[in-house]
Amino acid sequence: MLAVLSVEVRKLNRSLAIVLAMAAPGLIAFFMFFNMLRGRAPHPWEMWTQMSIGIWAFFMLPMSVTALTALAAHMEHGPRAWDHLRALPVARWKIYTAKALCVLAVVAAMSVLNLLLTIGAVKGVVAIKPALAPTGVLNLAALALLIGKVVLASILMIAIQLWTALRFASFVPALTIGIGGTFFSVVATSAKQGVFFPWQMPVNVLAREDWRADTALALGGGLGALVAILAIVHLARREVL
Amino acid sequence: MSAAIETEGLTRRFGRRLAVDAVSMTVPDQAVYGFLGRNGAGKTTTLKMILGLIRPSDGRARVCGIDVGRDRIGAARKVGALLEAHGFYVNLTGRENLSLTAILLDVPAGEIDRVLEVVEMRADSGRRVSDYSLGMRQRLGLARAMLGAPPVLILDEPTNGLDPDGIADMRRFLKSLPARTGATVLLSSHLLGEIEQTATHIGIVNEGRLVLEGELSRLKADLAPEIALRTSNDTQAGELLRARDLVSARASDGLTVRLPLGQNADQAAAGLNKTLVEAGLSVFAIGPRERSLEDIYRQVATPAAQTQPEIA
Repeated sequence: MLAVLSVEVRKLNRSLAIVLAMAAPGLIAFFMFFNMLRGRAPHPWEMWTQMSIGIWAFFMLPMSVTALTALAAHMEHGPRAWDHLRALPVARWKIYTAKALCVLAVVAAMSVLNLLLTIGAVKGVVAIKPALAPTGVLNLAALALLIGKVVLASILMIAIQLWTALRFASFVPALTIGIGGTFFSVVATSAKQGVFFPWQMPVNVLAREDWRADTALALGGGLGALVAILAIVHLARREVL
Repeated sequence: MSAAIETEGLTRRFGRRLAVDAVSMTVPDQAVYGFLGRNGAGKTTTLKMILGLIRPSDGRARVCGIDVGRDRIGAARKVGALLEAHGFYVNLTGRENLSLTAILLDVPAGEIDRVLEVVEMRADSGRRVSDYSLGMRQRLGLARAMLGAPPVLILDEPTNGLDPDGIADMRRFLKSLPARTGATVLLSSHLLGEIEQTATHIGIVNEGRLVLEGELSRLKADLAPEIALRTSNDTQAGELLRARDLVSARASDGLTVRLPLGQNADQAAAGLNKTLVEAGLSVFAIGPRERSLEDIYRQVATPAAQTQPEIA
């Protein structure tokens, strides 16, 4: 399995995945920087980090997952590499599992990068306007836990997006689902039913009501893992004509 | 001679369409087996079933005695394949692409240099595949198929995209493979000339059915001899031949006369020449016509509507 995983990572070498992984969190940090710079009074660290993770969870994460899964699948669809890969003496489920793990790892890395770039943006503003130095403490352990929950809650969305992207050689179905999911995630962010909507599960982890956060985590993570396994089984068994 | 690849009643349906119809083929060990048929005849579908890429609706395929349906991974260990779609990652170099497959096959890194050397691609292996010509990609694909020195190579249209020199090199290379490496080559193509100059054995597939299989030299020897001739009046010559119970067909540059099986072509040509001259015809050219793979192919694979009309 490690060999298949290492091959999957090597395929990303000099691909656009790195650009995507940097750009999406970078845009949030860019926004945070100028948003904070125009302020007049200092705010607590918690406000800045919550805002950053919130934007990430409800908009940029679903969009990034859409783009990343489409890109990961297109790496095989584009050059029609499936026949070569599937003809090799390697269990096919390993190929799809490696791809899923790779996407999950990049999403986790992007989530961490988002936080780090946000902290960098805040510190950058403080260097220019020391009066805006955030109050309170920067609780990195709590933030790491929160990011971990957001990533966990996004597994169902990742599984659906990745299955769609791998199943269909055209990127249109995956993009349509991803854009549609993100659209409803944005326009109905506060809807109570949103906790049952895969694209809103990551942002629901930040909800004040415990039941919503717990439900989003359980469904996004638990059901997500189950759906991911079923997706891998299906993809490994189906014929690619 | 034992079989490197064997299929029994291999069948595949796509909905109502029967793409491969009970194909039972035998590729002998260390043969270069030319798998012939026009586009859409069922060649690629058959190869995909042998590679375990698609499941047969019926029948079975064995590679080096291993049932593909029961042990796909075991059978895949015996095969290297060059498929129509190369599946290279263009953002990576040729060497990096080979390295991905080498890791998945668990073969040592030294293997990459060996196969690059064989296809004479070592100098270009550090360039990105996006900069490769189609011919270079084809050679890289062949190198990848040879990683780990599998005993069977399955090559789908290996001369596609090659220039004339590349085609000649590829032919020489494929022909020498069994002797050099001990590998068996199953070579699919719709180009008769390519197969004729490369293959030791052939299988012809037509509308999903294997209509002929065997050793190429033996199949050629089994054909009835023919004489090609060009006269001052081919219509009159055709009538004279019919009077002697000989069947002739109009060719692009004269007539072709089919002789009964076993008849000596030289003696028959001399006799025909005499008859035609005595009838007052000028004979510009006459002589035995060497039988080709095309003759074999046309006999078994060409629909009746497309055959040359017989004039006698």
